[in-house]
Amino acid sequence: MTIAGTVTVAACSVATALAGIRWLRVAQREHYIAGSVSRFALRWWRRGPGSVAGAAAALAGAVVAWRWPLGGLATAVVVAAGPPGLGLRGRTSALAWTRRLRTLAAVWVGFVAAAVVLAAVTGAGPPVAAAVAVGVPVLVDLACAVTGPFERLMVRSYVSRARERLGRVAPTVVAITGSYGKTSTKGYVAHLVAGSRTVVASPASFNNRAGLARAVNENLAEGTEVFVAEMGTYGPGEIAELCSWLIPDVSVITAVGPVHLERFGSEERILEAKAEILEAARSAVVNVDDPRLAALADRTEAEGRRVRRVSGSDAGADVSVRTGDGGLILFVDGAEVARLPPGAQPGNVACAVAAALEVGVPLEEIARRVATLPTAPHRLTAGTGTGGFLVLDDTYNANPAGAGAALRALESMAPPSARRVVVTPGMVELGPRQAEENARFAAAVATTADDLVVVGRTNRRALLAGARTAVGGGTAGGGGTSGGTLRCVVVGRRDQAVAWVRDHLGAGDIVLYENDLPDHYP
Amino acid sequence: MSALDTTTATVAVVFGGPSPEHDVSILTGLQVARTLVGADRDVVGLYWSKTGEWFRVPPTLEAADFLDGVPRQAEPVRLALGTGGGFAEVAGRLGRARPVAVDVAVNCCHGGPGEDGSLQGALDLAGVSYTGPGAAAAALGMDKLAFAGVVADAGLPVLPRRLLGPADTEVGFPGPYIVKPRFGGSSLGIDVVEDRATAVARLDANPHLRRGAVVEPYRPDLYDLNIAVRVWPEPSLSAIERPLRSTDSGEILGYADKYVGGEGMASAPRQLPADLPEAVAAGLRSAALEIARLTDIRGVARIDFLSDGAGWFVNEVNTVPGSLARYLWVDPPLAFIDLLDAMIGEALARPTWRPSASGADGAVLRSAGGIAAKLG
Repeated sequence: MTIAGTVTVAACSVATALAGIRWLRVAQREHYIAGSVSRFALRWWRRGPGSVAGAAAALAGAVVAWRWPLGGLATAVVVAAGPPGLGLRGRTSALAWTRRLRTLAAVWVGFVAAAVVLAAVTGAGPPVAAAVAVGVPVLVDLACAVTGPFERLMVRSYVSRARERLGRVAPTVVAITGSYGKTSTKGYVAHLVAGSRTVVASPASFNNRAGLARAVNENLAEGTEVFVAEMGTYGPGEIAELCSWLIPDVSVITAVGPVHLERFGSEERILEAKAEILEAARSAVVNVDDPRLAALADRTEAEGRRVRRVSGSDAGADVSVRTGDGGLILFVDGAEVARLPPGAQPGNVACAVAAALEVGVPLEEIARRVATLPTAPHRLTAGTGTGGFLVLDDTYNANPAGAGAALRALESMAPPSARRVVVTPGMVELGPRQAEENARFAAAVATTADDLVVVGRTNRRALLAGARTAVGGGTAGGGGTSGGTLRCVVVGRRDQAVAWVRDHLGAGDIVLYENDLPDHYP
Repeated sequence: MSALDTTTATVAVVFGGPSPEHDVSILTGLQVARTLVGADRDVVGLYWSKTGEWFRVPPTLEAADFLDGVPRQAEPVRLALGTGGGFAEVAGRLGRARPVAVDVAVNCCHGGPGEDGSLQGALDLAGVSYTGPGAAAAALGMDKLAFAGVVADAGLPVLPRRLLGPADTEVGFPGPYIVKPRFGGSSLGIDVVEDRATAVARLDANPHLRRGAVVEPYRPDLYDLNIAVRVWPEPSLSAIERPLRSTDSGEILGYADKYVGGEGMASAPRQLPADLPEAVAAGLRSAALEIARLTDIRGVARIDFLSDGAGWFVNEVNTVPGSLARYLWVDPPLAFIDLLDAMIGEALARPTWRPSASGADGAVLRSAGGIAAKLG
């Protein structure tokens, strides 16, 4: 090989290694689903004029390298630098070298090595090296596809161990699902039960097959009387599979909404997938604030199963939480039981109380323990920033309903004549409704706030469009008072938004941080 | 005789365990491991999971590495009993299970099977030397009822302490009462109640009382006083500590006061050395030495007393105390590594278990005749 060829191959190899770290991290964040890395790569490289120009240069370099090896250097430079904004080290989520990621990385390195051998045999070193550098996301996806079956085999062995442990420890199992509110509800149930039973709750992010098997194997100690499991779902049949070995005694559905819509297709299919949790349980706890869940509760009861209806508003439900003079009040079977601490989430508390009753916790014990319910961090908590302004933090797992509630909180907590600011990157994973939901949210912001700070590019267009229609149309629905003067600010990253807020807000003002996307989103 | 000493021995730091104090034990274990690594010792971390499985872990981990359960870096190992027993890697598809070389295990397990004698029994049968109490001493220290009996029998002052069962109609002394788990290390599961009926009701409601409960008079005028004791290289005592409650509302020094929000007990609020009348301090010191003898202390134990400033009572002994009570050795100061060295030296020199078959010389068997004849 010529010197130019050698230099090109070396440069492309370095670029490939750097790109590998980037895209392996994206694979990890996207649950190792084959295809997701290429999808994110396309998003990133189409992000702005600079990214598009870079992508074009990288591709052109790879083509030119067939004739002039040094052309591959352009590819190497662009790929090594990566799409602008996608860092090597994550801000929100650093690369974790788990066993699974190590396996994936090894297979990916194998693919790259095979390409290198191919290049050596055919003598086409520089162009192949450049093509490999460009194709890193595709190779990571390919590695995900190849390691998938092996991973499923590994998980199967974890599950059989978990099944055996569950049989031995034999706890009462409370299974919780819902498009949102799962984690809070789980925490509430554990807290309510802990005074009278030994209880273990699955850790926050361990809500799928592999995670729950691990939670059982590592946390379900001998003598545990109640196990509270959070069950997430990315598709139909997953919860039914979970319930086949982690058999619930009490099942809870907190809510349905358009979360992970891009994997389900429709909200009806989300409802069906969540309803799988009710099949095996001796009693079901259902939040009937959503009419679809109310209908599901009726159907489940008609099938002859015990159903506890709960609500964050309706007094007719078996367990309800209502806003009374100056605070939240818990009602069971129509009778007032206790007052709740501020910040508790009504629907989720109602779910947890019903579940605790089904487990056999006495009502007096529940009444005693609700006073000290933990309120989770990053779930709409209020504090005062260094500049003396109020900060509402709702940065965790935003969904349209939660975002609406956060806006109402902003409205009710804002001091008179406060400047009201909403900072958001918008919401994701809403499938075909993503643009529409974000636009609707921005329109609602226009009726409540003075400034909207849009973070990143993922939902920028939809948010700005929504804000424009609301302001331009003058009359936004929802009954809010539209000032019609929403100012929009666009920033690239979260820290720039925080700096903007520090510069522009003072004592007596209020800011809502709504949702925070992991930094593998553009 | 091997040339092992405290600086050349391979030390396994054993922590975690299926215990309510699993998390506190991780903090103790990581402090011990870090200190030994800092002194260039040969250290292996042995983590005992909540579900009872064993793992070898790097001795330099942080508490956060255990937040989600077993840390990523953990490799499964097994504890085998009998000749050639001890810790060994789990055999893979290729190759044999290699033993994990351990000369001494530093036991940092609190509150459950690491402090009640069961782990000690297993290590004895596996032939692994360890620090801290032997099986019998640990079991005695964990049983609040038996311990109070032994102490009272030696003439030391204790509050009345009775077993409380669901059928008990009379306690024998007036309320209010403290109800405590009979077996258990720290303050988990302790309740203050007004009367006997409420105390009995708590038996059912409080999961920590399932294995048995003891009841004693609740005396709001009493406060805690703690002292650490060791017998190796010679009997010695730490300064006396008076732990302070982080909140005024708490009726008794709670688990959260002791452990939540810091590096375990080492960072809890306290008065050290406690400001005490010399008579009380002298009484505590001689009682602590006597208890060390009565309960066959090994390693370092923390003995908890109650006092109203004039009189005092023995409360309980912690045979594997949080942070190994390192923070109590302030007068004269004792570095943690020196405390650990003494414990390791004691473990090498003072076996916990000496099984003997002498006397089983066959004479009984020879004269026994037929088993059927014995049954007849």
